Amino acid sequence: MSNINFRSGNPRKLFYYGIISAAMLLLLGGFYNLQILQESVYRGQSEKNSIKRETRIPVRGHIYDRNWGRFQLTGTGVDSLRQVGVPFQLLRKLMPLKSRVFDSEAAFLDSLSVRGGKAEINRYKNAFLRYCQMGKLIVDNRPSFALYLVPALTTRAQLDSLSSIINISVDQMRRNFRRSRRFQPVKIARYVDYRTLVKLQENRLDFPGLEWKVEPKRHYYFKSSYAHVLGTLGEIGEDELGRDDSYEPGDIVGKKGIEKVLDKVLRGEKGYRFVKMDAVGRRVEEIAFPENAFPYPGKDLYLTIDARLQRYADSLFADRNGAFVAVDVRNGEILTLLSKPDYDLNLFAEAVDPEVWKTLMSDSLKPLFDRVTQATYPPGSTYKMVAAIAGLNEGIVSPNWSVFCPGYFRIGRRTIRCWNAGGHGEVDAVSAIRGSCNVYFYKLGLKIGIDQWADYSTRFLFGKLTEVELTAEKPGLVPSKKYYDRIYGKNGWTKGILANIAIGQGELLVTPLQMAQFAMILANNGTNHQLHLRRKLVDKIPRYRLTDKSFQQMAEENISPEILSALSPLKDQEYSHKSLIKKLDSHIGLIESNELRPKILGSAEKRFAKPDTFATQSTEITGISPEVFEIVREGMRQVVAGGTGWRAGVWRKTGGGKTGTAQNPHGDTHAWYIGFAPFDNPEIAIAVIFENGGGGGAVAAPVAGKYLQRYFHYKGEFDYREYREFQRILYEKQKEQALQDSIQAAQAVADSLQNLAPNNQD
Amino acid sequence: MLLDRIKSLDGILLAAVFGLMICGLVALYSTSQSGGGANFFLSQARWIMLGTVVMLVFAYLPNRFFYELAYPIYIISILFLIMVLFWGSTTYGATRWLRIGGVGFQPSEFAKIATLLAVARYLSDERMEINRPKIFLIASGLIALPFLLVAKQPDLGTGLVFAVITLPIFFWVGLKTNYLILIVTPVIAFATSFNIYLFIIVLAAIIYFLYRIRFSILWGIGYLLLNISLWFVRSIFWNQLKDYQKKRITTFWNPEADPLGAGYQIIQSKVAIGSGGFFGKGFLDGSQTQLRFLPEQHTDFIFAVIGEEFGFVGVVIVLALFTWLLLRIIHLSNIFRNEFSSIVAIGVGTMLGFHTFVNIGMTIGLAPVTGLPLPFISYGGSALLTNLVMIGFLLNFYRHRYIY
Repeated sequence: MSNINFRSGNPRKLFYYGIISAAMLLLLGGFYNLQILQESVYRGQSEKNSIKRETRIPVRGHIYDRNWGRFQLTGTGVDSLRQVGVPFQLLRKLMPLKSRVFDSEAAFLDSLSVRGGKAEINRYKNAFLRYCQMGKLIVDNRPSFALYLVPALTTRAQLDSLSSIINISVDQMRRNFRRSRRFQPVKIARYVDYRTLVKLQENRLDFPGLEWKVEPKRHYYFKSSYAHVLGTLGEIGEDELGRDDSYEPGDIVGKKGIEKVLDKVLRGEKGYRFVKMDAVGRRVEEIAFPENAFPYPGKDLYLTIDARLQRYADSLFADRNGAFVAVDVRNGEILTLLSKPDYDLNLFAEAVDPEVWKTLMSDSLKPLFDRVTQATYPPGSTYKMVAAIAGLNEGIVSPNWSVFCPGYFRIGRRTIRCWNAGGHGEVDAVSAIRGSCNVYFYKLGLKIGIDQWADYSTRFLFGKLTEVELTAEKPGLVPSKKYYDRIYGKNGWTKGILANIAIGQGELLVTPLQMAQFAMILANNGTNHQLHLRRKLVDKIPRYRLTDKSFQQMAEENISPEILSALSPLKDQEYSHKSLIKKLDSHIGLIESNELRPKILGSAEKRFAKPDTFATQSTEITGISPEVFEIVREGMRQVVAGGTGWRAGVWRKTGGGKTGTAQNPHGDTHAWYIGFAPFDNPEIAIAVIFENGGGGGAVAAPVAGKYLQRYFHYKGEFDYREYREFQRILYEKQKEQALQDSIQAAQAVADSLQNLAPNNQD
Repeated sequence: MLLDRIKSLDGILLAAVFGLMICGLVALYSTSQSGGGANFFLSQARWIMLGTVVMLVFAYLPNRFFYELAYPIYIISILFLIMVLFWGSTTYGATRWLRIGGVGFQPSEFAKIATLLAVARYLSDERMEINRPKIFLIASGLIALPFLLVAKQPDLGTGLVFAVITLPIFFWVGLKTNYLILIVTPVIAFATSFNIYLFIIVLAAIIYFLYRIRFSILWGIGYLLLNISLWFVRSIFWNQLKDYQKKRITTFWNPEADPLGAGYQIIQSKVAIGSGGFFGKGFLDGSQTQLRFLPEQHTDFIFAVIGEEFGFVGVVIVLALFTWLLLRIIHLSNIFRNEFSSIVAIGVGTMLGFHTFVNIGMTIGLAPVTGLPLPFISYGGSALLTNLVMIGFLLNFYRHRYIY
């Protein structure tokens, strides 16, 4: 017998039928009540009580150079001050302060006041702050407007007349419509200027479905030299949407460069606002809502770039192509990062003109291509230090090991030439670097072998990303035995390859940034600092604290005692803007909080958080003895002091460096120079390359030299006037010397002639 | 041959299921009218195809298959639930998902089926007389174990489903009516313990009932004290709940108390449904839906979309389909000649019915917001697959309905 009653008249089955039917009837009753009895009530509500979330776009952080916020009285600054009417007497009193650098506005004004008198300085305060600002603003934002249309409220005729006002075809707008909801506003245009907007506003009644939103766009202060540092912005792609929760379709995000890498910090936080809408989607009023949120502006970025040096380096390039990097060797800050040719970022601030885009894309000089981190070149002779260090450190050769260079080198049946056809004669490690002798390094390369060489190359971080804050960086290539086996087959390659890569030719490829990093490591005797472009990030939103004073002030502003006592638990606590608003909402209620917020925030004590600075991250290249560094560096010192790189030397300054002239399959040789200065206690390292520019010593080294002059000039350690004076004296001395020499020579000839004469007479 | 096989399926049941899934697709199409957002319509259509294949596979498996595997499946599902507690991924403060080899699934869905099979197998033996305390306790324990594990996640809605299948199954296998009432009354007492007057009325009814069935005095007083103690248990229980769970319950009682917060969903849903009127605003023309005032409109509140765009007419059609489906399932459990099949059918009917009532009730403010999806209509692959698997069971049993 079963426990279950299987008769078709089972009362329990009927009971279940009953429950189901009763429940269904209950639901049906509920729907009948809502949809038929109370339909008009709810229809009314749905028509006027619709709440919609609006996104409020935050302002993207500004970008400054490293010196923004520091002040200095300079010659040009004084000229400008005089032109705007600052009295000469006052400026004369301030002259002792010339060239001194002040780290803050307050310190600067204080020092000025001590010399010039408080009242006087205050009178011209704005002029002083403006013309003595050391730094440069590189990027900020300009207002522009985005237009939206609600498809359900827009007719074909409206589209036609809209398209005659804004420069967008009807087809384009309809295409946007196809992908969207009928009631959802669709973005049909962005970067509409104010004048167009006014025109549309005048005809507002003709376009019931039209809405607009402020959407800041980037404004770049420099036409060139920053494109590859900053990178461009653009509308978010579908593949990027998942990268962060706050990304939404239609967002503008960083697409390249530091704008992309630091996008999350720069863009700020979107705000939301809930608004009441009527049935046709028009805004009725803003409402207090717990999810309402302010848009928080992005943090300001201070680059490590020195705008003065960046501009100067740019001017040194003229029309040539290549890359320039300068690094502070004490912390890895990149002072200059330049890839030429580049392009005007303002072209990308709005939706790019397709014509412009096409020209940029098809330009054979590839201005869109970042040569500093994405281009890989054979390094040529600048790479010889790697072979030298490997040979010396592994004990394969001694520092005194020397080679006779007759100007060529025979390997098997082939003869390879040294660049110096006359030959370098007897050379050891130091003089081989000084004279960049190929024969020495051919022989050394053969002795070292591919494995050791590749090992030392990777130890100096070649073949690896530098992980600077830029996008699409290339690692270059350090060929290994495995690599050659793969390319040429096992035993399919000869030792000749080794001779070749030891002088930085062949399959070896490096980026200019890696070379700058290499120069920094040599300058530091093996210490590497993470290269970086971000000096600090500054939050524009202060932190708030309600003090006794704030409560007094609020009481004076007629805030009721009940509210004040409700606020008392918040007293003397520090809050971020966001958390304070949350607290206000919960302590005094949404409506009150909305209303009193300006007064309460206004009375609060504000304090700005300390900026996040980039902490230097250092690593040591271990296992290389100090003596080895000493020998190689001595070679590099001699390169600058009379060797192949003498043109990179700076008057009265020491330094080390190496030239390179890299053969390549694309035409003329690339001109390379890497170096650092001063020789003891180095501060700055440089890597420069001119694509197909010619010889490193003749083309690249002088540019490095000029840049270093300028660097030391800004530090007050190099005076152009003095230097020119010195050169003039030197020139005159030489002229005098030459005159004397020729007089002496003439004398000698005359003497000898005289000596000959009597003999003839004899 | 093939035709015979197809004819062996229960067409009446399938018609209701496919009717509901089509209604669901129509509603999902309406919520997917956007460029950037996910296309729920296409995704769900894909799930329906996959689910149908799985359902048919289950329908043609050997008859004893589920019976034999009931206990092993149960043990595995318990292991999964334990694993979730340790290694599950957490969203919105609840740990519900388990990732195995990159594929995520909710073990609680799986556990629903497994528990049902295990209980059905246990009680299908005619020696297991449910009115014996030992049998009752073991059968309850089989359900309580997964229930506790799911409640721990915490997943209040799914946990409730476990609790809810218990009594209809027990009653189906012969639990005495008086016992049923004794079990149900504490639940009612608990539910009314928020209001002192209601609570006293319930207590009075209990006393009257105990007197009617001539319960022994001692046991009667004990039972009464148990009910009274629920008043205090409730306050402890209340404090145990997470904030969002509390909010859901309070807003159920009074949605207007927090019109912008937790009550927002219910109010918007009621406005959507109410403004739909008799014929609805028309397909793709529901302003509440299309302007996205309706929260969770593709999952929890999808019925409001139907209510707004298709009006009372649409509501009646969908409710009729559900009634058809549920009555058919009860009917099946009566005609199956095999105890195991019959119990599973009752369980399936209860689960689907519970989901349906709670979900639809929630959209018009008759039930609290629990996050239970509407069977065959809400977007979501996991739930759809579970439901179609259960329909697969019924089809399978139907083919062998005359076998004892």
